[in-house]
Amino acid sequence: MFKLNFKIAMRNIWKNKGYTLINVLGLSIGMASCILIFLFINHQLSFDKGYKNAGRIYRIVTNWEYAVGEDHSQGVPIPLSAAVKNDFAAVEKVAAIQRSGGIIHVKDDAGRDRIKSDERVYYVQPEFSDIFNLRWLSGNPGQSLVAPDQLVLTEKMAIRLFGSAQASMGKTVFFNKKALKVSGVVGNPPENTSLPLHLLISYASYSGKDSKNWGHIGSGSECYVLLKKGIAIESLKGTMDQFNKKYYNDEGTGKTFNTFQSLSDVHFNELYGNFANATFAKKQIYGLIVIGCFLILAACINFINLSTAQSVSRSKEVGVRKVMGSKRKQLIVQFLTETLSISLIALMIACVLAELGLPHLEALFEHDLTLSLFSHPVIFVFLVGMVLVVSLLAGFYPALIMSGFNPALAIKNRVTVNSGSLGLRKVLVVVQFAITIILIIGTLVILRQMDYVRKKPLGFNPDAVAMVYAPNDSLNVHKLNTLREQMLRIPGVEGMSYCQVAPLSGDVTERNFSYAGKEIKDFQVRVSVADENYVDLFKLKIVAGKGYVKSDTLNGYVVNEKLLKMLNIKNPEDAIGKVFSSGDIKAPIVGVVKDFNDKSLREGVSPMAIYADKNEYYNMAIRIDPDVLLSTMKSVEGLWNQTFPDYVYDSAFVNDDINGYYNDEQIMGVLFRVFAGVIIFISFIGLFGLISYVATQRSREVAIRKVLGASTFELVKMLNGSFLLMVFLANVVAWPLAYLFVSKWLSGFAYRIELSIWPFVAAMLLSMLITLVTVSIRSYRAANVNPIDALKYE
Amino acid sequence: MIRLQNIEKYYANKGLKSYILRHVTTEIGQGEFVSIMGPSGAGKSTLLNILGMLEEPTYGAYEFMGTDVTSLNERKRIELYRNHIGFVFQAYHLIDEMTVAENIEAPLLYKKIGSAERKSRVADMLDRFNIVGKKDLFPNQLSGGQQQLVGIARAVAAQPTIILADEPTGNLQSAQALQIMELFKKLNEEDNITIVQVTHSEVNAGYGKRILHLLDGVIKEDVAPELQS
Repeated sequence: MFKLNFKIAMRNIWKNKGYTLINVLGLSIGMASCILIFLFINHQLSFDKGYKNAGRIYRIVTNWEYAVGEDHSQGVPIPLSAAVKNDFAAVEKVAAIQRSGGIIHVKDDAGRDRIKSDERVYYVQPEFSDIFNLRWLSGNPGQSLVAPDQLVLTEKMAIRLFGSAQASMGKTVFFNKKALKVSGVVGNPPENTSLPLHLLISYASYSGKDSKNWGHIGSGSECYVLLKKGIAIESLKGTMDQFNKKYYNDEGTGKTFNTFQSLSDVHFNELYGNFANATFAKKQIYGLIVIGCFLILAACINFINLSTAQSVSRSKEVGVRKVMGSKRKQLIVQFLTETLSISLIALMIACVLAELGLPHLEALFEHDLTLSLFSHPVIFVFLVGMVLVVSLLAGFYPALIMSGFNPALAIKNRVTVNSGSLGLRKVLVVVQFAITIILIIGTLVILRQMDYVRKKPLGFNPDAVAMVYAPNDSLNVHKLNTLREQMLRIPGVEGMSYCQVAPLSGDVTERNFSYAGKEIKDFQVRVSVADENYVDLFKLKIVAGKGYVKSDTLNGYVVNEKLLKMLNIKNPEDAIGKVFSSGDIKAPIVGVVKDFNDKSLREGVSPMAIYADKNEYYNMAIRIDPDVLLSTMKSVEGLWNQTFPDYVYDSAFVNDDINGYYNDEQIMGVLFRVFAGVIIFISFIGLFGLISYVATQRSREVAIRKVLGASTFELVKMLNGSFLLMVFLANVVAWPLAYLFVSKWLSGFAYRIELSIWPFVAAMLLSMLITLVTVSIRSYRAANVNPIDALKYE
Repeated sequence: MIRLQNIEKYYANKGLKSYILRHVTTEIGQGEFVSIMGPSGAGKSTLLNILGMLEEPTYGAYEFMGTDVTSLNERKRIELYRNHIGFVFQAYHLIDEMTVAENIEAPLLYKKIGSAERKSRVADMLDRFNIVGKKDLFPNQLSGGQQQLVGIARAVAAQPTIILADEPTGNLQSAQALQIMELFKKLNEEDNITIVQVTHSEVNAGYGKRILHLLDGVIKEDVAPELQS
């Protein structure tokens, strides 16, 4: 029976080539989009899975509560791990991990550098191996990470440095000139991990391991724990409260406390970072799922509309089959078989399309992301599930309609599909177009906001300024003055300043401070360390006083207007000369700088203080003549390598860094553009399907009107009218939803465009225009048919 | 008002011509009531379609009210439909979504007749055809005969010079058929509307003034009904 059904399905599919093409096209594009979305989400959801103890692994994180908000860090104080081991009976293992970075050298037999590379390294406690079940290829957890100066490599790193895991054992690697002995090799961490640790150094080697300072919390110090079996994390809340009370005595600006974060949350929680520097918010995943469902829904709506359009022409077949004794159920199965066949064809094309789209998706997300259609059995399950869902969703309603024809009427070709079902189709089209319009509006708003962000004056000039790493340890600090002179001599270099970060940067240091002898408890000040050339180099505007003078040590602060505003100082001149202190550093305020955007435009301007401290710089900002950018950068790199032969050159343009802060929005913009395009296309062919249906339905009426003297134009107008009305209705439905969505999205920006009516009007005009064109093509044909064809056979 | 000159109609199928009409030459004057008769497949409906400009002849010349309409552009054809030709069909072909009154009003809309004039003409038609009580019903609420009455009312409302009727009583019981035929006769005599109908029934044909007998696409006889019997 199935074989016969399938054969007939194939013949029917072939007979109605046009409809089949439209169906397959819409479905396959919708499916391809869904496959891509699924692959991406599947990849994101696979993070940090597959550890034997995954359910029992938690990270301890730190939180602050201030009067004006809160703050979070993935890091913990150094002494915390020992304290946890002591205070929590329910914790089986504790492992502190300390991130560090620097230059590693591997020397050949003659003592020359064979490999020199800037790498992240991690000091880890031996328990790390037990918590995460490291697979040891050489060495063992009991010995290889215990003694000082031991180094464990992953297999990948061992092969890179020494050619093979075996060859690396016992070899020496220099990290920041310190000799470490390779004592073990472990299996590679998976691609989808928040802990991409390739160079593990025994924690005993970490110079800061004995710190007793609970006040210093760096994001590089993480702490993972393994709970004992059968312990619920909720039961540890009381212990944690006591723990916090015991170790943090908060007097200053806020309340500090630790909490447990489950391993499964590490990749998805944007409040805390992780060592992989990759978080992906759950809400983005939900957003993608919604878009995927929208696309499939739109494609299914097409299918339903087109199938019912065809159904009348198949009524005779239904009648004959019924007369021959076919049960309704059998007919439904037959029609579903056809839908299934079409879905399968669409799936094959979708797989090809998805395969073609994969590289673009990978490029868009820029991670080391390798996705493949055939890498995982779960993908196969998804594909099968998708085909079944699509077949049922798309096929069931038409099957129900078609199988329900009255055989007597059907054979006489007198079937009329009742107006109720046309109503349903209209609702479906309104839904489909509402989705389309929401996506169009979303796309327009995102593009305009991104344009605004790109063009908004930031209050400083970031163009053609490169940030170059400046090694500033005790060995190199004396070189900086000479280097500056040499740099300025390079033709094309227009200016240079030693500093920590560019004016706009996500690298934030905030401190408590006091102004004019009074300690300020309501908020902290963002501090930035830079030399006297910084203000000129970035073209910051001084509104009162002047920049500080050249000096190796601090002789004055430059603060911004925002700080004064928050201190309720109206006239910037009043602040000049007042004593300002943060940390132990006391100095008068010498200048007030006009506010500039110091964080991405999602956030407002922070209160800031800039001061000079020779030992704190780690970057040099170099302004370059844009006309000779490339050649100048080459000279800069040459000079740099000459000056710091033991270090690795690292540079980035300020503008690129700034754009990097809008990565998420840019990805979102691209996704919206692509999916809006896809859904416009799907809706476009769907409309074509529905107008075909209506034209068939009303062919007799059109013919009658024609012989009554209606012109083609009048008929086209008549057929188009209801569609324009539907699309207009869809606009009415879509506008409030789109408004909610875009205003929510925009509210994430402190600096944003005014939400005007124009994106809405544009979406309406666009959708109306598309409708008019699509529908007119078909209705013109319908109106031009010879009325005889519709009136003759009765 | 109608002059057919050597009209031929055939369909070419794999080089073989299958003729529907051959050498049809005839004239129909203003105010005539012509019945076209003949067995199935004789080409009656095709001839009527050609008269209604719904089909084009393969060869031959067709003059309608003095102008050659053999291949007329759409705009002019629509003008003729609006002002001169009314169609009546075997299957009535009322628009299902419209009430009786709206159906009758439809052609007037296309003639761009003002609202007041339309109302009065529709009322006039309803009155004249005795269907005032049914004006707000939909076609599927009427019997076949009543539907055909509406169909004719619709054709007449536009005040055509000629009505082309393709088996107008083919789907009706004989009593209703007689009523329709009486109506045609009255329209022909009182309003001087030219009527051309295709029919199988000798009785129906008897209402007309002239009968064209078609056989295999050729006019075999062109007689007045009195002479035939």
